[in-house]
Amino acid sequence: MLSFDLHKRKFLTVFLLLLFAWSLMGVNWQEGVMHSSGISTAGEIFAAMFTPDLSMDILLLAAESSWLTLAYATAGMSLALILALIFGILASGVLSSGKRSRTLMKGSFRGVLGFMRAIHELVWAWLFVASFGLSPYAAIFALAIPYGGILGRIFADMINDVPEEPIKALRATGASRLQCLFYGYLPSVKNSMISYTMYRYECAVRSSAIMSFVGLGGLGYQIQLSLDDLHYDEVWTFLYFLIILVVIIDGWSNMLRRRMAQ
Amino acid sequence: MSEKNIIEINQISKNYERKIALSSLSFVVEKGELIALIGPSGAGKTTLLNLLASILEADSGELLVDGKPMSQFSDQKKRAKKIGIIRQQFDLVGQLPVIHNVLAGRLADWGFFKSLFNLFIPQERQEATTALKRVGLPDKLYERTSNLSGGEQQRVALARLLMQKPEIILADEPVASLDPARADDVLDMLTKLAKEEHQTVIASLHSVDYARKYFTRLIALKNGKLFFDLPADQVTDKQLEELYQLKELS
Ligand SMILES: Nc1ncnc2c1ncn2[C@@H]1O[C@H](COP(=O)(O)OP(=O)(O)O)[C@@H](O)[C@H]1O
Ligand SMILES: [Mg+2]
Repeated sequence: MLSFDLHKRKFLTVFLLLLFAWSLMGVNWQEGVMHSSGISTAGEIFAAMFTPDLSMDILLLAAESSWLTLAYATAGMSLALILALIFGILASGVLSSGKRSRTLMKGSFRGVLGFMRAIHELVWAWLFVASFGLSPYAAIFALAIPYGGILGRIFADMINDVPEEPIKALRATGASRLQCLFYGYLPSVKNSMISYTMYRYECAVRSSAIMSFVGLGGLGYQIQLSLDDLHYDEVWTFLYFLIILVVIIDGWSNMLRRRMAQ
Repeated sequence: MSEKNIIEINQISKNYERKIALSSLSFVVEKGELIALIGPSGAGKTTLLNLLASILEADSGELLVDGKPMSQFSDQKKRAKKIGIIRQQFDLVGQLPVIHNVLAGRLADWGFFKSLFNLFIPQERQEATTALKRVGLPDKLYERTSNLSGGEQQRVALARLLMQKPEIILADEPVASLDPARADDVLDMLTKLAKEEHQTVIASLHSVDYARKYFTRLIALKNGKLFFDLPADQVTDKQLEELYQLKELS
């Protein structure tokens, strides 16, 4: 049985390698990948890296756009966290009593979470902008749904990985399923939940920046405008602000993690 | 049926797939007895305790608690008032502060909102403090439980049991992971507190010395059968030697 499994795994590896090779052939390397002046434009863009535009009005614009990007990401992430907690707990099945109702609950809510994250945030953004126009809600929902799906799935898995023994002991002291959730499952996974949410928050900031290409304002939107005007030095100012945002969040999450470890 | 019999076990059997764990075991426990379950590993001690705690169900036979079949204790909360079990230290939620692990012993009596509120503002702090004092951990109230040593954690589990106040205490190898000094400590405390509260104790033990020292009655299991059932001071060394012998003498 084991050797058969190993065999299968090797087969899968070879298959994936072939698929990769085939996909490389699928790309048309001759034309279209770079336009004629590509090399020189690339040179200009990277040269501007060292001369970002630091004039007052660009800095102010960058700060304002960063604020917008951060605000979308934060609002989207908060909503995602609420969705993830509700659906994740339901999808873990720890609240249902019977074996059959547990399977049913796990299956259906994992399905919902799967649907939420199957569609990329940019696609959600298109859909929302198409349906209710350029409004902040479009950006927030577009972030909240797929991120809620990802977080919820991870939360459900974390809850399912909690050791059985302390939970059984809680049941034996007379705790109900809901009491077990708050005294057993959630305290056990709280730290990993926070760590993972912070990591996802960082991703949400980057996503939120990109999302603004759809026209929702924010760093991505400014980058696009400056690129269109060939103002590469401004592009770099905005990029540095984005990097600073991500670094700040990373530092914050490290601080949280260190505090939790104590 | 005597009024004093808190547990009656009649011809109880339990198999795992093809393996026989317990075969037609019978005995009676009076209220307030301190019983040690001994026997080589694989004898069926854990299985018996799990049956009593209704973590497992017997294949056949009768199990009466207070003269009533186990099925009448299907309500988690009511059963918790009757029977409590402690096993090894992984029974606690490591990430919670000690006080919440202790107060979890009250969950059977608390409604959902009270228990939720308790996580933010601990309720019945006085009782929890008293329980921790009785097990000798008065100053560890807000310590993270996983930071405690094995022996301390076992005593936290004991404090939880004090809050739960079940009439019957089941303990599966309560001292298996402790060093001898701590093991003495925990067993001394367990039996002393049980005597004070008139609780009945059934504990499985690796060590016969502890069984004789702290318990009044020894029930020995071997291969899922009753090997002997005697007052602690009547057990002879020869019987113990036979109990732990690997092969039957023919
Ligand atoms: N979950 C299980 N599945 C199959 N066999 C088991 C299981 N639990 C225990 N057994 C078997 O039942 C017998 C009794 O086990 P147990 O009650 O754990 O003994 P003890 O606690 O005295 O060491 C042993 O032979 C053991 O291998
Ligand atoms: Mg055992």
